[in-house]
Amino acid sequence: MKLLRLEFYKCRRRKVALVCAAVLAAQLFWFWVVLSRQSEEEMRQGWLLMLYNFAVLDAIVLPLTTAVLASRSCEIEHKGCTLKLLETAATPAQLYRAKLFWGALTLAGLLLLRGILLVGIGKTLGFPGAVPLEQLIWFSVFSWAVSLMLYLLQQGLSLRYANQAVALVCGIFGSFTGLMSLLMPTQLQRFVPWSYYGLLSLVGMDWDEATHVTSFYWLDPPITDFTLLALWALLFFVIGRTLFVRKEV
Amino acid sequence: MNSIETHGLSKQYGGALRVNHLDLCVPEGCIYGFLGPNGAGKSTTLKMILGLVRPTQGSIEVLGQPMEHANRLAVLRQVGSLIESPSYYGHLTGEENLRIVQTLRGVPEKNIHEVLQIVRLDNQQSKRVAHYSLGMKQRLGLAAALLGFPKLLILDEPTNGLDPAGIQEMRELICELPTRFGMTVVVSSHLLSEIDQMADQVGIIREGELVFQDTLTRLHDRSQHHLALRTSNNTVAQALLTQQQVECCVEGDCLLLPPLCDTAAADVIRLLSENRLGIFRLEERKKSLEDIFLELTGKAASL
Repeated sequence: MKLLRLEFYKCRRRKVALVCAAVLAAQLFWFWVVLSRQSEEEMRQGWLLMLYNFAVLDAIVLPLTTAVLASRSCEIEHKGCTLKLLETAATPAQLYRAKLFWGALTLAGLLLLRGILLVGIGKTLGFPGAVPLEQLIWFSVFSWAVSLMLYLLQQGLSLRYANQAVALVCGIFGSFTGLMSLLMPTQLQRFVPWSYYGLLSLVGMDWDEATHVTSFYWLDPPITDFTLLALWALLFFVIGRTLFVRKEV
Repeated sequence: MNSIETHGLSKQYGGALRVNHLDLCVPEGCIYGFLGPNGAGKSTTLKMILGLVRPTQGSIEVLGQPMEHANRLAVLRQVGSLIESPSYYGHLTGEENLRIVQTLRGVPEKNIHEVLQIVRLDNQQSKRVAHYSLGMKQRLGLAAALLGFPKLLILDEPTNGLDPAGIQEMRELICELPTRFGMTVVVSSHLLSEIDQMADQVGIIREGELVFQDTLTRLHDRSQHHLALRTSNNTVAQALLTQQQVECCVEGDCLLLPPLCDTAAADVIRLLSENRLGIFRLEERKKSLEDIFLELTGKAASL
């Protein structure tokens, strides 16, 4: 707990809030552009349209976001050669865990705020029907879980390499792959960590070629893919933690 | 009691033994100068003592307790350290940096201001460390090491990169620690003159091996005194002195004589003058600490 508190203290003036605000602004702007192109018919499926588009937006934006957040947290240790000081007062495993919890909580805060904003937007724009609270909660939890899995990968890289370009290039690659993965078949998607935003989407889409009308429909939470996601997370956790703990400073 | 004791401490990287069966012994309450050329294995040894690097072989005792994985952090609560360059968060102020160490070590908050005063950074505490000079960063590093007022302080090349005034200031700070706070200080350096002005115990390491360990006085005792004589004709002078059974040998443009008492030295001068030899110079020479250090580290290595 003490180490986790220190992680937040250390990230003062690291503009983490600004990063989160930029992510939200980018997503909301994108969605505004999408909305402006929708027909009245499609707007009647407002909530579904929203969750479908935000799953796509997550696949593009969140891989890079996790890379930036992990880098903001880990870079300071390399820059100031602080690990040789910290490791005289805490074990490397404790330090790794504190950084991971910091990332998990920051992402949770970001996605919780985003969830609240989604409800606000839906209500303001007068999307028909009741607020699909259950789906919104699941959607936020899945976005968080996928982001955490990617955060584990990014934290491993950011702690391993002092040069943060390695981790950031991985994040950019992830964002690109996340977008491309939406066009892949499901079986292949499962082998690509960045594709889980799409795999865990709660909304499906049909596009009628004849009428050019898009219809959205709810999907059940995909338990199999969620389990696979947990396995990916475990893999990145074990590798990242082992490399960090074994590294001599 | 010894503050640090190592037995057969070794560290192998790849196929090379970088620290080779080191038996260090740091008596309590002293300033122990750990000397050696760059790359001799000083930092690796100090990191092993702090548990930051795992030894390949050997044992370490710190403050009377064996240094093992299980009790490492408990032992280190009484140890302060500054290894290689100072550790700091550049985007935070000096005070905020120390607050992190204070929270980590669980020491009273008042210690922050106390150590800031000791290292004379109290009027710079609100400045971001990224804007500090190197000397100020080193002092902040020392403040972080002092924060818990530990029994043992390990400083690895604390004067690296400092200007002469900074070196002097750091040296003064280190020298007053044992008397003022009862600390044992281990300070490493590759500069003998620096250790000569601070330490009372010395350990010299060369290529991972401990080649000398004793008091500084003992190291000084190793310097050999002799007299250097320069005359108008050293060859004739040598022959005359040998006849008088005064041992001498030629070194450069001088004759080296054993230390002589004043009367014997006067006799030598008289003898040479009577034989019409001009005496240009007669001076006392002593092997400097640098010479001893080089002999122990450099010259021996080239053999």
